[in-house]
Amino acid sequence: MMAKAIIVTGAGGVGKTTVAAALGVRAASQGKETLVLTVDPARRLASALGVELGGRPRRHPQLRKLSGAMIDAAASWVTVARRHADPAIAERLVNNEFFEAATAHFPASQSYAAAEEAAIYLDSLRWDLVVIDTPPAAGGIEFFTAPARMADLVGGRLLRLLTGGRIPGRNALFNRGARPLLRFADQLLGADLLERVALFLMDLRSTYDGVSKQSRLIESHFRRAATLVVTTADPAPLAEAARFFGELPEVAAAPAAVVFNRTLPASWARAEVPASTSAELAENVSRWGAESLRQRDARSGFAARFDAPLCTIPWLAEAPTDLAGLRSVAELAEGMPPLW
Amino acid sequence: LILVSGKGGVGKSALAASLALAHQREGARVLAIDVAATGGLAAHLGATSVDFKAKVIRPGLKALAIDRSKALIEYLQVQVGLPGLATLGPAARFFDALASTAPGVREVVTLGKVVWEVKQSQYDIVVADCPPTGQVLGLLRAPETISSLVPTGRIRQQAEWMSKVLRSPDRSELILVTLAEELPTIETEETLELLEKSELIGATMVVTNRVLNDLRTEEKGSGVVAEAASLHRSLYQSQQEWLERLPPRKTFPYLFGVFTESEVGARLSDLWSE
Repeated sequence: MMAKAIIVTGAGGVGKTTVAAALGVRAASQGKETLVLTVDPARRLASALGVELGGRPRRHPQLRKLSGAMIDAAASWVTVARRHADPAIAERLVNNEFFEAATAHFPASQSYAAAEEAAIYLDSLRWDLVVIDTPPAAGGIEFFTAPARMADLVGGRLLRLLTGGRIPGRNALFNRGARPLLRFADQLLGADLLERVALFLMDLRSTYDGVSKQSRLIESHFRRAATLVVTTADPAPLAEAARFFGELPEVAAAPAAVVFNRTLPASWARAEVPASTSAELAENVSRWGAESLRQRDARSGFAARFDAPLCTIPWLAEAPTDLAGLRSVAELAEGMPPLW
Repeated sequence: LILVSGKGGVGKSALAASLALAHQREGARVLAIDVAATGGLAAHLGATSVDFKAKVIRPGLKALAIDRSKALIEYLQVQVGLPGLATLGPAARFFDALASTAPGVREVVTLGKVVWEVKQSQYDIVVADCPPTGQVLGLLRAPETISSLVPTGRIRQQAEWMSKVLRSPDRSELILVTLAEELPTIETEETLELLEKSELIGATMVVTNRVLNDLRTEEKGSGVVAEAASLHRSLYQSQQEWLERLPPRKTFPYLFGVFTESEVGARLSDLWSE
């Protein structure tokens, strides 16, 4: 049986990695062979999971059913190039003057490489469950659209424009149709820049067959995956969470649940304050009470707009730094639908 | 020129908007630019939306959002000096494709719009709500990237004057917004280190958002009072450790129970002058 994928996504800074790790710990504790794939987690969380950068999946020393791996986003393009191009072309690509700049400026490549890595593990049949923490650079829906955008990039949209519609051989780079445009561009950019860009793009294009095939495979995984949208009650992450409900169905299954992290107890909203309480603590509880009320309104507002199970995780004073901490996050989560 | 960046989710747009509002209130002519065009800036300014054409938010304060295709056409027409390009459909498409693939072109067009507004001297202050730290270095490096790839031509000249404005401590400053937590602190430290080495920007300043107040009383309280006090004290303790590690120039308080983005923008704007 193919592994089940759980994709944990949401805006930056809401605690995606913690949620992904906690889910992994819970699944592994229930006997599922589980792999948690993270991208650039906090150091203490990484040590709680027992992962190191760029490494192969490693079994957790205490919880043997749990494995973790950390995707090295910076090395992503090099891996993609080497995987899908002939060795000689791959070397020429990674040493090209445009390569570093192009990779640094195309955030979809990070997401794409992470997704490709995840797909390889999903197909390996070694795990029952693969929990994927989406890269911080993508944050939102971009993770899910990265395969299509990557295929478009290496497929040579610019190359076709540069050459007037057809992909030429290396010797007949620019056809006559594109000449006036090219003269115009040379005037702006200096002579021969476009030619150098085009040669680079032609090399890049040799990864196209591999990338587009892999993209379709990744997209089919996306459609079967359970997606968890993590948010806090703050406006910006909530707006990002709302985007998933509008845009996700086009590229993946609709969200399986929305996780409100850093939730305060509802009882704080209308707290009885004993008369003996000092003014400072009374003020403190009333401020946190107002925050709890705001959170409750944000949750009910969201629930009224979107149809998905709503789950809460309490606001913890300390981020979990070990297995026990992650286990307690999973236990404190309320309203999580069965995902495996 | 004040560029505002920081890790995702730290409140960049809120602080950028509040800074624009604070300067406007002091009588400056201010332009606020939503560089990432996420819409967060407009909401925090109390506007429903802003677009590429600068819109008056209140007397002395205008705002616009960068639209990449429009910025590209304006860049080629106004800055590089190619008239009538808007009617050249294929050329516009060609450059749009180039901008989305060739390194540095998109960024230099975006940054070009921002720096161009600074040079117009129509405003005293331009506040730019920038993409997160991960991408802001790419943005700031764009003029250099272009200069290293393009040996001659008008785009290179443009890139050079952009660099000059950005590197001038009298004209440009980057505000890095952070939180007193592990990941934002580490990311800010790494960004500062890279900026120090590269000398891409005239000046930098760190501000820490959502900082909790100290509870002076030792009292524990009971029930919910005790629960709230205990959470507050633990969070405060942990925040103090991160603040010590990366001391900010300025801190902004956690706003309890504030509902709307425009309310957040207005509340924070009162605090800049303190």
